[in-house]
Amino acid sequence: MSAASEREMVRTAPGIWQKLRYRARVALREPTTLIGILVALLFAYLIIVPILSLLVDAGRVQFGDERRIGSEPGAWTFYYISRALFSPVAGNLFWAPLFNTLSVAFGAISISLAIGGPLAWLVSRTDMLGRRWFSTALIVPFMLPAWTFALAWTTLFKNRSVGGQLGWFEALGLAPPDWLAYGQVPITIILALNYIPFFILLFGNALRRFDSQLEDSARMLGAKSSTVAIRIIGPMMLPALMSAIILAFAKCIGEFGVPYVLGLPVNYDLLATGLYRSISSRQTGVAAVLAAAIMLIGVISLLVDARLVREARKFVTVGSKGAMVRRSALGRFRIPATAFAAVIFIVSVGLPLLTLTLSTIMRVPASFALSNFTLDYWIGTDLETVALRTGILLSPALWNAALNTLSIVGTASLCSGLLGLLVGYVVVRTPLRPLAGFLRQVTFLPYLVPGIAFAAAYLSLFAVQRGPIPALYGTAAILMLALIADQMPYASRAGISAMMQLGKDPEEAAQISGAGWFRRMVSIVVPIQKGALVTGVLLPFISGIKGLSLFVILAVPATDVLTTYSLRLVDYNYTQAANAVVLIIAAIAYFGTLLAQKLTKTNLADGLGS
Amino acid sequence: MPAITLHGAEKNYGGNAANAVSDLNLEINDGEFMCLLGPSGCGKTTTLRMVAGLEHLTGGTITVGERVVDCVSSGTFVSPEKRGMGLVFQSYALWPHMTIERNTDFGLRLRKVPKAEREARVQRVMETLGIEKYRNRYPSQLSGGQQQRVALARMLAVNPDVLLLDEPLSNLDARLRLEMRAELKRLHEEFRTTIVFVTHDQWEAMTLATSIAVMSEGALQQVGTPNDIYERPANRFVAEFVGSPPINIIEMGEASTNPLAASARAWFARHFPRLADIGSIGMRPESLAIALEAEAVSEGAFHEKARVSGVLPTGGSWIIELQSMGTKLFLTTHQPPAISDGDEGYVHIRPEALHVFDRDGVRHAAADIQLRGDVGNAARKAARKVPA
Repeated sequence: MSAASEREMVRTAPGIWQKLRYRARVALREPTTLIGILVALLFAYLIIVPILSLLVDAGRVQFGDERRIGSEPGAWTFYYISRALFSPVAGNLFWAPLFNTLSVAFGAISISLAIGGPLAWLVSRTDMLGRRWFSTALIVPFMLPAWTFALAWTTLFKNRSVGGQLGWFEALGLAPPDWLAYGQVPITIILALNYIPFFILLFGNALRRFDSQLEDSARMLGAKSSTVAIRIIGPMMLPALMSAIILAFAKCIGEFGVPYVLGLPVNYDLLATGLYRSISSRQTGVAAVLAAAIMLIGVISLLVDARLVREARKFVTVGSKGAMVRRSALGRFRIPATAFAAVIFIVSVGLPLLTLTLSTIMRVPASFALSNFTLDYWIGTDLETVALRTGILLSPALWNAALNTLSIVGTASLCSGLLGLLVGYVVVRTPLRPLAGFLRQVTFLPYLVPGIAFAAAYLSLFAVQRGPIPALYGTAAILMLALIADQMPYASRAGISAMMQLGKDPEEAAQISGAGWFRRMVSIVVPIQKGALVTGVLLPFISGIKGLSLFVILAVPATDVLTTYSLRLVDYNYTQAANAVVLIIAAIAYFGTLLAQKLTKTNLADGLGS
Repeated sequence: MPAITLHGAEKNYGGNAANAVSDLNLEINDGEFMCLLGPSGCGKTTTLRMVAGLEHLTGGTITVGERVVDCVSSGTFVSPEKRGMGLVFQSYALWPHMTIERNTDFGLRLRKVPKAEREARVQRVMETLGIEKYRNRYPSQLSGGQQQRVALARMLAVNPDVLLLDEPLSNLDARLRLEMRAELKRLHEEFRTTIVFVTHDQWEAMTLATSIAVMSEGALQQVGTPNDIYERPANRFVAEFVGSPPINIIEMGEASTNPLAASARAWFARHFPRLADIGSIGMRPESLAIALEAEAVSEGAFHEKARVSGVLPTGGSWIIELQSMGTKLFLTTHQPPAISDGDEGYVHIRPEALHVFDRDGVRHAAADIQLRGDVGNAARKAARKVPA
């Protein structure tokens, strides 16, 4: 078409149809949109369908229940909802676990706020001794699985109510009462210790960015330091503080490992363990109701958090140009403050890890005679036990579990890292804004769903053959798919922010130079995003390795991973071996996190709040 | 033959936002150095990116030479990589993982230029821009000015028909900016490429461009040579945007109770009784003069009593702040002023230096004819603004 006749056409304004045709041509000129649509379909299947299937399960008659309910499997029913919420057993099934969960969450968060808040301030804004060292040391619990500490607790406080090796105190003749050994008190304390890093990271970060000049301006205008604290610092720190509280709460709702180790012996159920009980006693319908309840609480708390983050965005000007960060001198409180941080470190990190380590090299609990120490539980042979007759490092079961972990978690992390970058690319680049919005939200959805509820959803969807998809239960595939879906919030967030940081310019410069889509991917985007890709794989890998709730529901002995293996050892009362496996997991998680931080030169704290 | 033609180009980013660019008609001639000038958010960068193909249109047509590259009604869209243009980004957008040499020869490799020729061309463009000695370094090891040269070299290496520059100098310090400005002018003379340059800096536009397109809120305000833009601003916006210190504007509408406006109205009625529909008048600070005695005011000039309220030296020139009948006026002079704060005198301006705008803020054509006595220029400018 010649330029002249083109110009003739312009005289009449283009119609809707012409505009759409033009838009389509622009959008489909590159594979970005097509890839985006494919990825969106994949996630719809991996994330939305399982959740819907779970919700549907809560309202339909399950196999095996037809007699009791008196209608065909698959028919709609309120039976499960009324059984979980209103029947005589509802107290045990739902209300007691809900009440326990809420009271544990409330207690744990209050304690961690009371300890973590001051610590955050000490670490970020004062001249406390060893401030830098503490700022890393105190967040170590964040890198370790929470039930590591539960095992340490039982190693110390376990009493004669339950069989197996005694706790140290019981062995010394000081019988700890049940309330101290199991149930609400230890669960609350351990979760509280575990959530302290949240406050140090999130709240401390906000404090660190707080510009001293804002404080100074108020002082110059004659405000007393109490006025400054209440009118200036307080309101500006509130969103970060609330955000830390809500994240801790959401994590608490889905917490499985700690109540499993410490609550089960005294029938102290939280929602997550209640759900696990319902699944293992094959009450699928009730399990679905419980999972939906956990999901609902998760969604509500994160909606609240999203609102607060939006609030916080209003304060983005804080700490921009020429920000000044001044540290307060503690004066004569310097030594006591340092001692306080040291005590918290010892209680939350040092003591548990030391206990666990010692327990793996001691034959009898709490006997510190030299003859009682042995490396047999690590590398011994021909031990006088029923099973597991070798040290844990020589046991094929451990290496089998380690190999499984590596292949299952590794494959899943590799996939989610790549998918995350792809999602990031599509979200940032596609001209189809609704597609970008959908991808952003669907990949974030698993964040709202605690792992245990998600696992239940997968169980409900993939337990039987559906259409062309075979029954996946018992295979490694179901674990990988569930892990990928579970890790997508982090992977896609990482991918999106990496692509945002990269900006359009380098790619557009290549485009102007004549590079097509594929060439740009290979020569520009992937090489620049190498670091982000490595983290996008490594971080999900770490969280996958220490993750418990997905595996405990979806894994079978053939797909044993380190976490389920150690949990079984706990059940069989091989205390030393169980603790040894947990230490191995903790070591991998810890050094992996350090490696990820080193590779990307970032801080854990930066990725948490966004 | 114009190198680039925009016809009715429109861009809307969606939602309820106003058009980023609306009904833009612009011809950029072959070999021209065209500056798109305007405040931030006026749509100049969007226009540049539409020409490059990095933004698609929501209406209109873009033609490059004979080829239609973008047309909503016929559904034509040529991807940026196939338009054969060069674009230097404001952020330079160098590829951080490639050396300077690889950055520079990337385009040539894509075009599968034979090795010998490729090396020769890279060598030449690197030498021209003085970055030859950094060829094995990475972008992060270079200073801002050096990076800017690499960004330019990268695009010049493929010898594009059209070179687009998006505020390429805004990230440089004042001294480097001056240097690069001279360099760009030299490069334009050497390569004779058509250059489209986006800037919000009027001095950059004035010193570099062979013609300037002033934009505001997505609409084209005026196209002309740098002189045209300064001497005959087409409307109030152009007059006020170009020039520093800004032009002195006096509102002349009937509603205005300003005594200085009343005095000016009386002056117009005396000297140009046939002139109607005056909305406002503008006086460039350097066109104003101050005389301490009424006799020193030149014949026929508009003048009024004024008091000096401030003398601000700016190094080599002076800004003098005046109060005339309650209105603040700025005057600039390159002569050391023989006045000081509080002096009383007469501010005056020759009639041909007055800029008269009608009630819609558009330049008053009849006033130009009567005050300046010219016809030709106005007609030429009108013909230039909208392509046929």
